[in-house]
Amino acid sequence: MNRLTDWRGHAWVALPLRLYLGGVFLLACYHKILHPSSFALDVATYQLLPLEFINLQALVLPWVELFTGLMLVLAFRTRAAALLINTMMVMFIVALVWALLQGLDMGCGCFASEGGDDPISWRTIVRDSAWLAMGLYIQLLDRRPLGLDRLFMRRNDA
Amino acid sequence: MATLRDACIVIALSVVVALLFNGLRGDGSIPLVASEAYRILVPCPEPVGEVEPIPAGEVRWGGARELVLDARLDHERELWMTDQARHVPFDFLEPVSDEALAELVASNAARVVVFGDGRVPDSGYEMARELAGQGMVNVFFVEGGWEAVRGVLQPSDPELQP
Repeated sequence: MNRLTDWRGHAWVALPLRLYLGGVFLLACYHKILHPSSFALDVATYQLLPLEFINLQALVLPWVELFTGLMLVLAFRTRAAALLINTMMVMFIVALVWALLQGLDMGCGCFASEGGDDPISWRTIVRDSAWLAMGLYIQLLDRRPLGLDRLFMRRNDA
Repeated sequence: MATLRDACIVIALSVVVALLFNGLRGDGSIPLVASEAYRILVPCPEPVGEVEPIPAGEVRWGGARELVLDARLDHERELWMTDQARHVPFDFLEPVSDEALAELVASNAARVVVFGDGRVPDSGYEMARELAGQGMVNVFFVEGGWEAVRGVLQPSDPELQP
């Protein structure tokens, strides 16, 4: 196990994954931050949350996406960012599976709420699972990520 | 442990920034707790059949045995409409009435093509499925909805416009 986690190449493997996943989350939060009412409607459509929590989630979640996306791209507190992203991905996947099992014919609401170009399907779940796998790789194996975290580690070592 | 602490800080920061941003913005802000339930459109479990998509360019516009239906609601038709389609508004919460269905069957059309708002879910697709579920055969829906239809027809007659 130590051999696996100690391999120095993880940082280089994780670098494109981090940039990609961070970019995805930055892209995802943009519309939601600008149009919280549309996103709240998307959240409500899943029929998972009680009414009292829908708006709060619609307001806060996009900002978590923004901060974690930035943190992944910059490799700042990378493992915390990956932990949050993985938690969100699990939440999204559970919501998607539930909606599909209910037979809800609806848009994903993952990126742009309006336009409806992103209907939910089992492909959406496969996509989100792939992103979850990337997040897990970063969280578990990218111990010395290339970016701010490594810079701070070097300063502390010096 | 440090990872968990950092994650909690990010969440706390997100809550603060989100509430501040929402409080400071004028238009577009939403209440922290919704006062009334959201009106979500979730298709009711009506009997539905399988239908095939058809490109707007393959519809036989004006064909004697081709029945084209515009499933959009009245206010959606204000944007654009054509007299080459019969208007049968589709309501996600109400099934197509028996009278409307009887009229469609009486048309003796060999093929029924429905176009709708083109959104997700597309009212044209949903209506086509419902008609197929009611026993109609050769029912299709136009991919892309009314905008695809408009792209093909491009009416120049100003009388077609509301």
